[in-house]
Amino acid sequence: MSESNSKKEFAENLLAQDPPPADKQQRHKEIIFKKLKLRIWRGKIIGGTIYLVLGLAAFWAFQQGQNTDNIVHSICWGAASLHILLWFLIYFLRGIYRLTAEIVEKNSGKDEKHKWKNQDRFITIVAILVFTYASSILYRSFFLNDYLKAAHLSGYIFWATVFFLFWYPFGTASLLAKLWLEYKKMELNIPKTEEQNLKSQGR
Amino acid sequence: MEQDKLSNAILVLSCQKRDEPAFRELVNRWEPRLYYYLRRLVENENDVWDILQETWLAVFQNIRKLQDPLKFPTWLYRISHNKAVNLLRKENKYVQITEEQMADYCQNNNTVLAVKEQTELVHKLLGKLKLAHREVLTLYFLEGFSIREIAQIIGISEGTAKSRLYYAKHKLHEALKGANYV
Repeated sequence: MSESNSKKEFAENLLAQDPPPADKQQRHKEIIFKKLKLRIWRGKIIGGTIYLVLGLAAFWAFQQGQNTDNIVHSICWGAASLHILLWFLIYFLRGIYRLTAEIVEKNSGKDEKHKWKNQDRFITIVAILVFTYASSILYRSFFLNDYLKAAHLSGYIFWATVFFLFWYPFGTASLLAKLWLEYKKMELNIPKTEEQNLKSQGR
Repeated sequence: MEQDKLSNAILVLSCQKRDEPAFRELVNRWEPRLYYYLRRLVENENDVWDILQETWLAVFQNIRKLQDPLKFPTWLYRISHNKAVNLLRKENKYVQITEEQMADYCQNNNTVLAVKEQTELVHKLLGKLKLAHREVLTLYFLEGFSIREIAQIIGISEGTAKSRLYYAKHKLHEALKGANYV
């Protein structure tokens, strides 16, 4: 018997000396899985509520724009509706980007991870600042009397949004390309089978 | 052994994708081991079940952060060690042992263990050892963890883990001598 097998057997025998009581174990598992299900549901409900609230807020803003007689307000409410929807989309795209980055990150070194995290932190901070600045401009444009200026300002805030709408999808695409390259590299490094080795030796 | 590690890693990867059946399988696979380990650290059985529950909830919450699925056993034991130590500290039962104290405690150099078949006796004698010794020996016997892994789980340096395991083996050997086995 090999050493690892005897070690395994020894561990199994040791475990058999003090096994968990079956009834308690069963009850304990039921409690754990009940709690886990609750946590999963809680996460889904919170996520769903956020989606719903943002969607409703955008729709409400759109409705406000339709129902008002004031041209400036109509323009601004329309812009606010788009503003909410687009930033929500950016948040969603960022989620996909981070998910992909986490997979790629697993295969990279410490320095690269650090670099990626710093970059992500920087972009997130910039995004929050841009969102706050754009929201404040939009808020101020509600109090303007000149509808042309209001339209100009409302359109102006979307320029920064567009940057992030490009950044995250392209970032995800480049990460996916990196992942594909890693995969190809791995495929090339797969050791030859014994048959192939024999053939090459025969030559 | 390698197959076990691989299937474990696959389970961990599935759990990272929030796969509930995989998590159930992981619990079924590791719970008896964790239970045995925690029973060596904590006297009260109800406390053991509480720690186990906290451990699994923490595992579920943080498993996505685990970078290397192959390191799951070390990570899992580290979590349950921390939970157990928190409880023992609350009850003032956890005392950090320094290497000097350990050296005073054991002076003999004979550390040969030839008792692998006598698990029942080893199990009984483990209960008579100090908590720190009991813990390293349980990790060593149960999972075959290396010095580095034991150090990571307990949160001590590799040197300390090495000497602690050495003294623990020695104390077990002495206890076995006392039981007229060696």
